[in-house]
Order: sequence, then structure tokens, then C-alpha cells
Amino acid sequence: MADKTLSIKATRFDPQHDEKPRLQSYEVPFYDESMVVLDALNYIKSHVDGSLSYRWSCRMGICGSCGMMVNGVPKLTCSAFLRDYWPRPVVVEPLNNFPIIRDLVIDMDDFMHKLKAIKPWIIRKQDIPLGAGEHRQTNEQIDDFRQFSQCINCMLCYAACPVYGLNGEFLGPAATALGRRYNLDSRDEGLKIRLPVIAEAEGIWECSFVGECSVVCPKGVDPAKAIQQTKLDTTLRFVLPYGSRE
Amino acid sequence: METQAAPREYRWRMPGNWWTRNRHYFNYMLREFSSVPMALWMLWLLVEIQRAGGAASQYQPHGSPAFIAFSVIVLLFSLYHSVTFLSLAGTILHFKVFDRPVPSRLIVLAMFGMWLVASVVVAFVLVWFAR
Amino acid sequence: MDFESYDVLVVGGGLAGIRAAIAAVEANPRARVGMVSKVYPMRSHTVSAEGGAAAVMASNDSYETHAFDTIKGSDYLADQDVVEAFVREAPVEVIQMEHWGCPWSRNPDGTIAVRPFGGMTTWRTCFAADKTGFHMLHAVFQTSLKYEQIIRHDEAFVTKLLIEDSRCVGVVALDIRTGRFDAITAKSVILATGGLGRVYAFTTNGNICTGDGMALAYRAGVGLKDMEMVQFHPTGLPFTGILITEAVRGEGGYLFNNQGERFLKRYVPNKMELGPRDIISRAMITEFEAGRGFEGPHGKYMHLDVRHLGEDVIDRKLPFMRELGREFMGIDIVHDPIPVRPVQHYMMGGVDSDISGATPVLGLYAAGECANVGLNGGNRLGSNSLSECLVFGAAAGRAAAYYASSAKPVTANPVDAMLWDEARRVETEYLEKKTGTERIAVIREEMQKEMDTGAGVFRDRDGLSRLARNLGGLRDRFERIKIDDSSRTFNTEVLAALELDFMLEVSTAIAFSALAREESRGAHARRDFPERDDAKFLKHTLAFRTNALAPRLEYRDVKITNFQPQARSY
Repeated sequence: MADKTLSIKATRFDPQHDEKPRLQSYEVPFYDESMVVLDALNYIKSHVDGSLSYRWSCRMGICGSCGMMVNGVPKLTCSAFLRDYWPRPVVVEPLNNFPIIRDLVIDMDDFMHKLKAIKPWIIRKQDIPLGAGEHRQTNEQIDDFRQFSQCINCMLCYAACPVYGLNGEFLGPAATALGRRYNLDSRDEGLKIRLPVIAEAEGIWECSFVGECSVVCPKGVDPAKAIQQTKLDTTLRFVLPYGSRE
Repeated sequence: METQAAPREYRWRMPGNWWTRNRHYFNYMLREFSSVPMALWMLWLLVEIQRAGGAASQYQPHGSPAFIAFSVIVLLFSLYHSVTFLSLAGTILHFKVFDRPVPSRLIVLAMFGMWLVASVVVAFVLVWFAR
Repeated sequence: MDFESYDVLVVGGGLAGIRAAIAAVEANPRARVGMVSKVYPMRSHTVSAEGGAAAVMASNDSYETHAFDTIKGSDYLADQDVVEAFVREAPVEVIQMEHWGCPWSRNPDGTIAVRPFGGMTTWRTCFAADKTGFHMLHAVFQTSLKYEQIIRHDEAFVTKLLIEDSRCVGVVALDIRTGRFDAITAKSVILATGGLGRVYAFTTNGNICTGDGMALAYRAGVGLKDMEMVQFHPTGLPFTGILITEAVRGEGGYLFNNQGERFLKRYVPNKMELGPRDIISRAMITEFEAGRGFEGPHGKYMHLDVRHLGEDVIDRKLPFMRELGREFMGIDIVHDPIPVRPVQHYMMGGVDSDISGATPVLGLYAAGECANVGLNGGNRLGSNSLSECLVFGAAAGRAAAYYASSAKPVTANPVDAMLWDEARRVETEYLEKKTGTERIAVIREEMQKEMDTGAGVFRDRDGLSRLARNLGGLRDRFERIKIDDSSRTFNTEVLAALELDFMLEVSTAIAFSALAREESRGAHARRDFPERDDAKFLKHTLAFRTNALAPRLEYRDVKITNFQPQARSY
């Protein structure tokens, strides 16, 4: 077996020493076709430079921790296969459009605020008691919002959105898609309560449909669709307030 | 040890050339930018209408090659804008017929169909009135 | 220095932890409830659970059957009073989750659907496609956001429990972003830190599953119960160890060896692919050893075949499996068999806790995978764990809130001193250490390999003794680790060291507990003691930390109510 190596350049930034981030080069053995960028980072941290900092956990594309820019494209590093890049070097940087805390770790406080702002829980005028059992809901009704419920909060969409990059106040793709997930859930009655946050100027209306969010989403949530559909529904509500839209 | 201020974060700044870094971003900017030449062409059209209004029988549309070239470019831009816009209609519009969601391809097809019909009708009207 | 004081402090932000926090607030709306997690809650490993949550929902089901299935599944090591309480609460929790937005898959009439699962005599596993854990975690986390009383400390790593006057009064937590040490005081603390899969090399578990809560309790003098009971899930993908859910077999998948034989007919003829996990994992290893496994670059494997189910069923019931197969193996499960092999997955053992989540230390509770409440005994049935997190997370939350409402407040002075001591300990041992020769990863990888070899599906005295000895050697080498990262800001290397410290604690408890249990029961299979020995071992193992390598072991009788132990065959 030939000893293949791959070149990784990773962003380094320690606020205690560094004015600004810089790239550091490493050589990583590429010993298995199933290796992903995350494996390369783990190799560096384990055997070369333990000070490289980054987030990761499940390594199966469901926890959303390991989002980073890989050769300029937002990706989950646990699902970015080295064989797709080798023999060219791989540049790994922290997600665009977020402040950098350290190395490849970004500050996601803004996203956590927005997550809470859209009130992502079932809102009902009157809760039914537990003893009454489950709300009746069909699989077809779940299909109405299923796609928008797949979001793993990885924030690749925020990294891909130039509007968010230019205006941090923008509500953004994932938050809007999650808001829509609840608005479309047949058990929920909270649309009017969510509307102020979603339909304000910095809500959906900042979006100019670049569409890159949906391109990079690893779970097929299609947040661009969620935003445009929300724009349409919100406008129709405004124009035809007496109609029972959703 | 305990009393430590929060460490300084590196603030993100959008690079000025962000839209050149990715084919999708570039196409998006092209799409958005296309409204500028289209707007200019519309203004020019208004000027022409005003000129034609003055002396209908002697009206000669500006026949210089520059105008024709500009018109072709604007036509290409407007076609690009229209095709992208109509193609996205399937994403934006969502409704159900008999409780089943209408597939987005059908919606897009219908949009293009309506565009074709509208274009034919407008063309017909223009030619008819021109006679 | 930061002083917060809570009535209830939950350590861990997974399903059990968040459920406990909500339960505490609902039990006492004026309670101050804190939640500390070393990762943002939606990253908790609950998110990767796939198959479903078991509960008596269908009309042809009964509490007695669910209880019996669970007790038999546990190889009679479960405490039967706990099981009987659990089966009655599980359906209530399933409905509660539904009210909180969990998108349970439905029957045509709109009621919550159930699917068959391993070891269950009837269909009782509620599911949300094949991403049940993901949907449950997001539903409960997003619901928790509406309770203003719950205050979260995200990305804070608990290094030590604060014990004062034999009572737990809070924790010392390292704020990962700033490197600052905080004493977070509370009248009650609930450990909900999940499992310890990362002590093994081949595991379904994510990086964060390092047995933190178990080690914290262990160091505080709480016994770790039944640590030898480690579950190996039969169907993990080779190399990565990514979980292929039991639901694949529940929907009708078949396991084939390299002879094209559904070999389980020789091991669990009545249940076949829906036998309990311990028996199936042992069956697969036995087949491998007889040369009937497929050979691959990443070890032997069997074929899990769902081609006969058809694309429709797969897309509706197992879409995530199809995605995983495509993404990580380059196969389409509609047309290709799935390569699978046994993989460490769950820890039945854990912090000694009772039916209300209380540990023997006053004010300290535990729930979820990190606890051993007595539900799963020697082997857990699939889909009981998600229900367990809800039932006992809620129980612990309520119990802690109730206890806190009449507990004495926490006094500052002893806490101050403890905080200082702990902060200095971590700083001297890790952050400021300039000498050191061992790399963390080298020690960790050796520990993982040793655990795979010595404490795997089949164990024996020699293997376990060697394991125990080698873990002792690794502990010595751990004292000499070198840390490259001296930064205070988001220092993940110090985290890795702290986690390795915890992992060495719990893996030692596993090795010695396994060595002492000279029988085979549930997931603990001894080649040198292949039979179950109810006369000597119908008891829980309790491991107490000592200053020597070996823990002090005690035994406690299993609680039997209605179901006398019988021979266990399927």
C-alpha cells in the first residue's frame, strides 16, 4: 500500500497571541478511502499538534457540530471525503459570517438567539390534557412540514448566505425554516404569535433569494423554499386577511 | 484565574469580492444586476414612445447598430431573468389540489406555458395595431 | 468568580437532562433550574438514536407483557419494581412528547403508530421515521426554550461535584470559551451525562460519550452499578461504527452469513432477527469464529438485507438508513446488502440510583444512560432507552425539585475553597504543565484497543486480568501527559485530557466488575463461566472507588416481585 499523504491548511487563531487568523499547514497520511476531513483534523490533533481546536461529535452527519469551510464551501467535515480532494491540498477554515472564538470554532450565540426568537414550540390557544391522548395527525399532515423539520442546526446555510454576511440582523435560513415547520404543523396554532419576528424587515424580507443556503444544506431542508413560501403566505395574509391561509 | 474578561473574538468582515468566489453567487449578481440595463432600456423606450407620439407617420426607431446591439444584450438579460424567475416558481408556489400537493415541476411548466401564451398574445396585439 | 445558585442543577443536555429540567420547573414553577452541558444541547448524543421509544400504546398490549419482556431481556438482573413503574409511565411520556411537537409516525387513523423491535413480544415501539432520537431531542430542547426559569450554561465542562457535609451542593465547571472556573451551587444536582462508548475503539457513540457523570459520581463516593454490563449492538457499519438501527430488522430485514444462511435460526429460532441484542451479537461473533463471516478490510461482517422490502417501504420507514448507506458506504440499501458487525452501543451499568433517580449521596440524582436505575439489568431491549430517559428524567426532575424546596441553602465559604482547589488542580496538572512525555491520543487509543480486546462481547479471566493490569499502566502514563495547548480560550486539548481521566476511571470499574462476575448473564459473556448462576449472582455489582487501582466491590440483591427467573431462550 503506497504511503499517500494529503496536505491540510487549517485556520489558527488564539486571541491571547494573535491579531488575526492565519493558516497553518500539515501533512496527513491518507490511508483509507473512507477518510473524511474530520479524520484528518483528528489525526493532526492526536499526533501532530494538540492545540488545534474544533467542534465535533457524532461523525455521522446528525449532530451538526462539525460545520467548517472546506476549500471555501461550507461542509460538515464528517461527511467531506478526502478522496474528493486528494491530491490537491484541503483548506479548512471556520464557518464564514460568524465571529471566530478560536481556530475553527465560531461564536453561535446569534443563532441561538434567533432559534429562540421564532418560538420553536407548539403553541395552542388551549392545550389538550395528557389524558386526552395524542392530537390526531396523519402522516400526510406530517409530510406538510417534514422537510423543514430535518434541520440539524449546523449553520452551513448561514455561512453560505451573503445577506447574513452583510447584515447580521437577518433572521436567516434555518430559523425561518424552523418557524415554518411549526406554522405548518397541524397541531400548532401559533402563526400569529410568530409573525412579528418572521415578517419584520429583518425577517424574511432581507432575503433576495440567492439560494445558496439550500445548495449547501446537508439534510435537504431547502430553507430558501421555506423563506420564499413564507414571503408569499405572509403577503397573502396581509392582502386577504379574512382568508384562512394556514 | 477566575476574573477573566471574555476573550476577544475575530470579527467577520465580508470581502468586497465575495460574489466572485462562487459560480452561484456570480450568477445571482448577474441576475440582480440585469435590472439595471433593463431599466435603462425602458427609459430609452419611453423616449422613443415620446418621439413616435410627436409625428407618427415619420417615426423612425433609432436604427443605429449600437441601439440594436444594446437591445439584444438587454433581451438576453431579460430572458435570463425571466427563465430564472419562472424556474423558481415551483419552489415559491405551494398549493394542494384534492389534498395532494401539486408537484413543483408542474407549476414551473404551467408558468412557462403562461409566459408563452402571454408573449404570443402581446406579439399579436402589437403586430395588429402596427398594421 | 461566578456564583450562581440553583434549586436544581442538571448536568448534561440530552433527552434525560432536558426532560428533568422541564419536570423540575413544572413541579415547582418558582424553582431556579440550571442546565450545564459541555456541548450545545442539540449536539447531545440522543440526536443519533434512530429506532424508537417503547410504550404500551396498542390495545393488544399490556403493562405485564412489556414488563416481562424487559425483565426477561435483562436476563433477570432488572429490579422488577422499577420495571413495573417504568412500563406504566412510558405511555404518558410518549403522549407528552407528542404534545410537545414530536412528529411520531402515525396510523391511518391519526393515532401514534408502533413497530416491532428486538425482544418485544408485541409491537410497541413508537417511532419518528428512523430518526426518533433526533426528533425527540429537538422537540424537547425547543420546548425547553419556552421556560424562562431554565438557565443554560452551554459549553461548560463539569470537572468535580461539590460535596459538603455529605451532601451535594453543586459543581465546579470549566467554561470552555474563556477557560474560567465557576462554582455553580445548587441544592440538588441531577447527572444526565449519557454513556461511555468512547472507552472502546469501535463504538456507535459520538466523541462526547466519555462517561463524565459516572466518573464524577464515582469520585464522590457513589457506587457504579453493574459496570460489566456493556451492550454491543449487532449492526454497526464497519470502520466508522455508525449505527444501523434495529428498526431495519424490525421492518423485516434478514441477517445472512457468508453461506447465504439466516444463521440466527440456530440461536434464536423463535425470534430470528428480532431476538435480543446480546444474543444476536454473540451469535455473530460465534459465526465469525467459525469462519462464516465475510472478510473485509475493516474486519469480519455479516450482511443485513432489506432488498426484499422494496423502495417504497425503505423510503417511508428507513430513509435515514438509505442516506447513511449512500453517504458513508457508497451503497444503496434498496439494491445492496448492508455490511454490519457488532459494535459497542450502550451502557446498562452506571451511577447507582433508585426509582426516583436518587443516589446514596443526599442531593445527588442521576437519570438516563449514565444512571443505572435497575431497568435494563444485564441487557437492554432496543427502544427502552429513549423511554427510560423520559420516565426517569422526569422522575429525577420532580424528586430533585421536591427535595430542593425544603433543603438548606448552600453556604459560600466551603464552596469558595473547593472551587479554588479544583481550579488549581486542573491548572497545575494540565494547563501549566511544561514537562510530559505521553500524548493524550496515544494513551486513549491504547485504552480503547485494550477495552475492545479484553471487555468485548466475549470475556475471560485472563483477558480481563490483563485488561485491568494494562489500564493501571495507562493510568500511570496518564500522569505524564504533555499538553500542546496552553491557551485559555476554547482549549479542547485540556478537555480531552479531562475526559481521558474520566474514561480511565470508568473503564477500570468495568474491568474489575467483569472480572468478579463469574457467570454469563445478559451482555456479560464469560467463556470460562458460560452458564448463568442465579445462586451466586442474582445480584447487582457495586463498584466503589478506592485509592488503589481496584475498586471495592459489593453486591446487592435484585428486587424480584412477580417474575421468577427462568431459563432465557427465544
